[in-house]
Amino acid sequence: MRTYSLIISFLLFCLSGHAQVTEPSRQPWYVPEHAVLQTAGGIGMIAGGVGYALGAHRRFDADVLIGYVPGTYTGDRAFGIFTLKGTYSPFTLPVDTHWQIKPLAIGALINYTPSQMLNRSRDDKYSYKNYYWWGSTVRLGAFLGGRVGYGFNTRTGRKRVASAYYELGTNDLYFVSLLTNTKGLALGQILTLGLGVKVDF
Amino acid sequence: MQVSGLLGMCALSSCGLLEFSPNQTLVPAAERQLTTQNLIRLTSRPKQESDTLRFVFIGDCQRFYDEAEDFVASVNQQRKIDFVIIAGDISDFGLVREMRWIHHRLRKLNVPYLTVIGNHDEVGNGRAVYESVFGPLNYSFVYGGTKFICLDTNGREYGFQGQVPDLGWLGKQLADTANTRRSIVLCHVPPTDEDFDPNLVQPYARTIRSSRQLVFHLSGHIHRFTNGQPFHDSVQYLTAYNFRKRHYNILSVWGRRKFNLETVAYAPAL
Repeated sequence: MRTYSLIISFLLFCLSGHAQVTEPSRQPWYVPEHAVLQTAGGIGMIAGGVGYALGAHRRFDADVLIGYVPGTYTGDRAFGIFTLKGTYSPFTLPVDTHWQIKPLAIGALINYTPSQMLNRSRDDKYSYKNYYWWGSTVRLGAFLGGRVGYGFNTRTGRKRVASAYYELGTNDLYFVSLLTNTKGLALGQILTLGLGVKVDF
Repeated sequence: MQVSGLLGMCALSSCGLLEFSPNQTLVPAAERQLTTQNLIRLTSRPKQESDTLRFVFIGDCQRFYDEAEDFVASVNQQRKIDFVIIAGDISDFGLVREMRWIHHRLRKLNVPYLTVIGNHDEVGNGRAVYESVFGPLNYSFVYGGTKFICLDTNGREYGFQGQVPDLGWLGKQLADTANTRRSIVLCHVPPTDEDFDPNLVQPYARTIRSSRQLVFHLSGHIHRFTNGQPFHDSVQYLTAYNFRKRHYNILSVWGRRKFNLETVAYAPAL
């Protein structure tokens, strides 16, 4: 028992010592780096979530969001929409010491709307093969966008960025509609706009 | 404040860009309850029972936007058309944007158009979307002494539970012949199709047969024109071309149960 206490004490000592030598901003890998809040873009009237900035130059954002669409917009009960999103921003243009612009963002997302209101299309309802080839609850999306960020230091000296972004995109079903109607549909008719903010923790 | 915020959002989303979900139902007020809107337009041009009624019959415009524009151009060149009937499958995926895309083309018709819900319009949140954009799934109207009974026959979308089509409602509508001389039934899935509730095929045909003033039964779904008496009971069942076929029918109805059928081909605009 005494030995066990000693080991625990030693581990605690090591951990605290380790914490002292590490940069204060360093978090365990699984702790999200930023919070995100978005409206529209097909993922909710309001969608909130967290994400990570990945890669050597932190050009790749991976976000997970939960969106809410109130019943006023669905005809009955509210929708919850679960979204995974990846965004690649290859360029960062510093404007001054605080402001920065990411003029181009390329991204893709997948979302799931597990609402009972959605009549499922893949219940093998129809005997002919691939009659309903899409799923009514899962959507794939792609978008182009941009982002404006403001960098600042916290009182502990950690550097944080708050940014606002837009995403002009579409989903798989709209895109398929455009593909088969090159004359009757215009690109502008299949677009959706998403607006959001991201703040580093 | 919250209400004005919501209204502001609504105004922004009316341009279509700010979309909360592709399955949302809300549309600008001008594009809501189109069945009622079209019926108001139709009845503003009253027609005598003794006049010949003439209307366009086509179905399944789902994801055929190129063709929709050519269809409108062709119908607008026809003379003495009272209205257009779309026998279901307005959309392919049951999405509000699809129904609006079709409406934005069909609203250029010189005459009103009326629809019935198709199986594709019931996928996803389609039923609620159809109710928001067009109106009730089962409805009837009277024009020129003719009663049109439009109903949901997409039984497979309800898992063949024996509730769709609503035979009780259909029977009542067929029995109520006050101030009408003729009746016409319009639906999407014809009773001869495997997507019609198999347990209701014979009861449905019996109900249809019970009408003494039925001119014919109209439906879509199979994407081709057919005209026959599949139940060998003297009841004429017609199915419509889909938009892809670039053909439509003009049906003229007069007298007690007389009708004439024309077929029109429409070419792509040059």
